[in-house]
Parts: sequence; C-alpha cells; structure tokens
Amino acid sequence: MSRLRYTIGRLLQAIPVLIGVVTITFLLTDAIPGDPVSIMLGPSPSAQQAAAIRAKFGLDQPLYVRYFNYLFDVIRLDLGESLYYSVPVTQKIMERLPITMLLMVSSFTFALVTAIPLGIISAKRRNKPADHISRVVALLGVSTPSFWIGLMLIIIFAFNLNVLPATSLVMPWADPSTVDGASNQIDVIITAIQHLILPTITLGTLQMAAFTRIERSSMLEVLGEEYVKLARAYGVSEGKILRKHAFRNAQLPLITIVGLQLTTALGGAVLTETVFNINGMGRLVITAIQNQDFLLVMGTTLMFGVVFVVGVIITDLSYAYVDPRVSFDGGD
Amino acid sequence: MAEPLLTVENLQTQFFTEEGVVRAVDGISFTVEEGELVGLVGESGAGKSVATSSIMRLVEEPGEVVGGTVKYRDQVIIDFEEGPDGERRPSDEMLSNKQMRDEIRGNEIAIIFQDPMEALNPVFTVGSQLKEFIEINRDVSGKEAKQIAIDMLREVGIPEPEERYDSYPHQFSGGMRQRVLIAMALSCEPSLIIADEPTTALDVTVEGQILDLVDELQDKYGTSFVWVTHDMGVVAEICDRVNVMYLGEIIEQAEVDDLFHDTKHPYTQALLKSMPRPDETVEELNPIKGVMPEAINPPPGCRFHTRCPDAREVCRRTRPVYQDVSGPEGYPHRVSCVKYESVGYEDSEPLDTEATAAFGGDIIEAQGESNE
Ligand SMILES: Nc1ncnc2c1ncn2[C@@H]1O[C@H](COP(=O)(O)OP(=O)(O)O)[C@@H](O)[C@H]1O
Ligand code: SF4
Ligand SMILES: [Mg+2]
Repeated sequence: MSRLRYTIGRLLQAIPVLIGVVTITFLLTDAIPGDPVSIMLGPSPSAQQAAAIRAKFGLDQPLYVRYFNYLFDVIRLDLGESLYYSVPVTQKIMERLPITMLLMVSSFTFALVTAIPLGIISAKRRNKPADHISRVVALLGVSTPSFWIGLMLIIIFAFNLNVLPATSLVMPWADPSTVDGASNQIDVIITAIQHLILPTITLGTLQMAAFTRIERSSMLEVLGEEYVKLARAYGVSEGKILRKHAFRNAQLPLITIVGLQLTTALGGAVLTETVFNINGMGRLVITAIQNQDFLLVMGTTLMFGVVFVVGVIITDLSYAYVDPRVSFDGGD
Repeated sequence: MAEPLLTVENLQTQFFTEEGVVRAVDGISFTVEEGELVGLVGESGAGKSVATSSIMRLVEEPGEVVGGTVKYRDQVIIDFEEGPDGERRPSDEMLSNKQMRDEIRGNEIAIIFQDPMEALNPVFTVGSQLKEFIEINRDVSGKEAKQIAIDMLREVGIPEPEERYDSYPHQFSGGMRQRVLIAMALSCEPSLIIADEPTTALDVTVEGQILDLVDELQDKYGTSFVWVTHDMGVVAEICDRVNVMYLGEIIEQAEVDDLFHDTKHPYTQALLKSMPRPDETVEELNPIKGVMPEAINPPPGCRFHTRCPDAREVCRRTRPVYQDVSGPEGYPHRVSCVKYESVGYEDSEPLDTEATAAFGGDIIEAQGESNE
C-alpha cells in the first residue's frame, strides 16, 4: 500500500508544477517581441481591423485577465486556434505528438538496451580491453554532435548503400492503404521500423554513451558493497550476484539520469526531426515561432513542459518502485 | 583429541599495492575445535578481517593468499605446493571455486559482518534474503525455507517474525539487523560461524543483548565460532580460547582464563590494561602508547618492539619464535616474545620505545576505521 500512497502523492504534486508551467509559458510568450496582429493582417492594417482582431483573440484585455482566461481554457483542454494552420492547436499537437513520442521512446529504448549490458561488461572487466573499448565508444558518443551523426548515417545508409530510408517516419499503427507498398499491417510495421532506425541512432547515441558510463560506475560501486560480499560468503554464484543482488541497486543512478536526459533528448528531437524531415513536435515548434503563431507557440511549449513533467514523474515512480527506502517509511 | 574443525597453518595474505606489498596476514596458525568459541583479538589493522576473508577464499584484488594451509575437517580450502619450476602454486587438493561455493560457504562456514547497516541488501525484504540463502545452502523447498527463516527470526528475538519477514532492512534498527544476520548464519546450519566484529557498530546495551543471545544459541546448536573483536571485555564474556593478533601475526594464544590470569605477552598485557573498568575514571584509562606501524614495512625483530614497555636491544634484532610455554599439563599456551626464550634478553640494554614517551594515541578509540 505504501507504493500506492507514494504514487498518488507524487501525482498530486504534479498539479502545481503544471500550473507553474502554464504560467511561465504564458508570460514568456507574452514577452516575445512582435505583434501577432500585424502578422495576421499584413504590414499596414486599418485601425478597425486591428481592433477587431484584438477583440476576437482577447488581446485588448489586461494581462491578468488574459492569463486567467488562458489558464481556464487550458484546464478545459482548449488551447485556442492556430493562426497559421487555422485548426485547433490541440488537433495539431495530437497529430504531431505521437511521432515525436515514437522517436523518443525508440531512442531511449535503444540507449538503455545497449548501455546496460555495455556498462555491466565494463564494470566486470574493469581496465581490461572490453572496458577500454566501451570507454572510447562512450567518449565518441558524448562528443559527436547528433546532427552530424544523422547526416553521416543518411549519407552512408540512405545514399551510398541505399538500404534504409532517410526521411520522415511511418507510424506502425498507420492504415496499410496510406503506406506505400504495404498490403497489410505487418508491412506497415516493417516499414515503420526501417524508417525509425537512423533517427533512433541519431538521437539515442548521446543517451547511450551517458548511460553506459553511469551503469559502469554504479555497478562497480554496488559490487563493492557489503551485501554483495555477504552474498558471496553465502555461496551465491557470481552470475546471480550480477543479475540479482547487484543489478537492481545499480539501476538507481541510471533511473535518475534517464529523467534528466529527457530535456536533452527533447532538444535533440527538434534537431533530429529537422535532419530527417520528420513532421513531429520539433518542427511544429519551429513553424510556430517562425510565423509568430502565438497560440501554437504556447500550446507546443506547454506540451513539452507536460512531457517533461510526466517523464520526471515516471522516473520518480520507477525509482520508488526499485528502492523501497523511498516509498516505505522507516519503522525502527 | 579429535581432529579440529578448522585448522589454519602459516596462512599468509598480501596486498599488492602501488606503495608496496602489504603483509596483512603474515603466517598465522590456529585451530577451532568442534563446539568451541575462539576469539581473534587485536587492534584495528591487525589483519583480523583479512584473515577471515582468507579462510573463506574471499580476498579481493589487489589481495591474494600467498601461502599456508587451511583445512575444514578433511577438506582442503587452501594449500600450496612447489611446482616443477620451484614456484609456489596452489595445490591440486584444494577445493575448486565451485566446491567452495556449493560445499563450504554458507552451509559449512557462515559469516557475520561488522556493519549490520550495510550487510543487508536495501532493495529486498529481509525475509527474501534469508530465504534465498537457506535455499542455496540447505536441501529444502521454498516453503520450508520461509518457515525456517520465520522460526529463526523468532529465535533471535525479532518480535512478530511473520510480519517482519516482509519488511525491508531500513525498517529495522541496527541491533535488529544484527539479529537478522545472526539468524541468517544459524539458519543455514553451518558448523562454523565466523563473526567479524559483529557488535562493534552497536551500542553497549545492544551489544550485551547480542552476546547473551549468541551464548545461548551456541549452547543450543553447538555451532563453533571464530569471534573477531578488538574488545578484551567481549573476549572475557564469551570466548573459550583466544588468539591475540598484532600486525599480521598471532603473538599469543591460550584458554581465556589462562590468558587473563597468566598473561605472557606484553601486547596482551597492554590490551588488558587498556580495558575500561567500572572502578576507573576516564583519566585512569591506560591506552597502548603509539600507533601500530604499517604492515607494508613491519619493524624488524619483534614487530611490537616500537611500542613495547619491556623492549630491549635484543628485541630489535631477534625474531621471536611462536612457542608453547605451558606446563606439562593443561591446554597449550603459545606466545612469541624473546622474554621466554634464551637469547640473552636479561643482559640486553633497554630500548627507548614510544611506550615510555609522554604522548601516545588512544588506539582503542580508533577501532573500526582501518580500511572499510
Ligand atoms: N584492499 C586492501 N588494499 C590494501 N591493503 C589492505 C586492503 N584491505 C586490508 N588491507 C590492509 O591489511 C591490513 C589488515 O587489515 P584488516 O584485516 O582489515 O584489519 P582488522 O580487521 O584487524 O582491523 C591493514 O594494514 C590494511 O591496511
Ligand atoms: S620480544 Fe621484546 S619487544 Fe617483543 S613483546 Fe617481547 S619484550 Fe616486547
Ligand atoms: Mg576488521
């Protein structure tokens, strides 16, 4: 029951944070120089037209009134209408968000699935060749800009070898009739995976490198703990010590880093989407900013905030799930 | 006399560090008989913990057992032989690593560590940890293992053991965790338990309770113990026989009464004198003067001569022989000090040792912070 109580508590804490996100987004957007009305109406609108538009969007009202209006709209999940696309902002976000989420989930999975074994091998073979190789790979991964990795992958695998597509993503749940050369859902999924590979590596390499180093150092630390010695002293095999006694503890620092890397990855997603021509949230933000589509800017920024807050909550909950000291009270 | 349960002969363990070779355990010999509680006592850094992990073959890099023999009943845990090239190498008779895991660790020799706060895994329940070790070391089903664990928790004085079985270590106090570790050791039904300063981290009242508990359970189960401590008071309370260790060597060994009433070695005398007594104030405490030298470069001759109040010129030159000085009857009383040899101690000039200097650190206070 303690874990449930902790979960509920953690979710409730998110409410004020989200209100904060709305507030900051609103104030920042308001502070952006430039007048949206002039963008909508062209260079020299008449005074009446301008006033009419201002009234329509409520821009003639004082800041605090506009703020509360926006806040209550957000609570009703109404983010207004995009000036540029002339559709509701929520509709645009719902269209783009799954694409970016697919990319994020895929690259974090790639990073974790490669980093955890690499880190453990490094720790087990400390200062041996395998460890040195993994160190060099990690160093390269951290220091190579992701857009460069993306361009190289495109040149090699798309242009030279011509084995993988270089642009856009296909959703694995898309209707087969909308996907070129796909006759059934399996074909769609295969196409989706092919499209995902290069962007995933592009976005995930940095994460992979960071996770590998964390995994190595925390594994090393845990393997030196008394309880690992105790397990050895009771005849537990080395394999089981790694898999069971050390593994869970060693993941705690990694979980924290995964949460923190979310911001880096969101930034990376904008770049990756640009390089691979993917119509996700990243490119939506750029379009919104370029066109001073203030409601769309607010909506997308808000969405990034929400994704981050949700990510942090998931991180915290996983941490609490793995480490009972967080979710259970001490009772001496 | 029947064959001893554990025989340690001339055991040597060294750490190969950048500063040099640390001779942490330098040729110690002792035995443990069936049902006996043997003390291993000495200041922090004497090599007690390294000795215990050597016996279990659990010494970690950069350490290595480099010589000696350890036998458990008729099983050879450690042994060396001379290879064709004259190099010392582990002998073929030694148990394999797998045999050590399957046949010795846990089911024949169990260990209790000093720090109960660190020895339990924080992410698993206390019960699941007990159960796992019982299942590994005894031929029982999972359900039986759980029942054994609960019964043993009750036996070591954990209230409401059924509920506590599902608690996590951080929900227990230090004393309760040490009880859990004792339950862990006993529930694997080993014949020998090595307890490495199990009460050092606990406060005096809790220590007293734990000692009583061990005394009682040892009577009941007849388990033999090697009890590692730096506290002569603990030795007096529970040990049958004592080995006193200084700088990698055992310098005196006797039955506990003998050791207390017919103390031979000046170091043992100093340890006894440094024991706090109820009729003394703090000012009257008599700590051993000076600090123990580094095990990298031990002093020549008698290793204790830099701090010995009785040191003479000859002590610096002569390696004392570890010999039996007991009378014709009675249990052996071994000591290594030139006072009991005929190498001219009486005619030798007294040495100016730290023991006569005005200052001197209270080493007993500095226990337990050696190399953890
Ligand atoms: N990992 C290690 N590396 C180098 N020296 C060590 C290591 N572990 C122990 N030693 C040395 O071995 C000696 C004995 O240590 P230890 O057995 O822990 O002492 P005790 O348990 O009696 O307090 C000390 O001099 C210590 O510095
Ligand atoms: S040999 Fe000498 S220095 Fe060593 S304990 Fe005996 S008297 Fe002291
Ligand atoms: Mg120790």
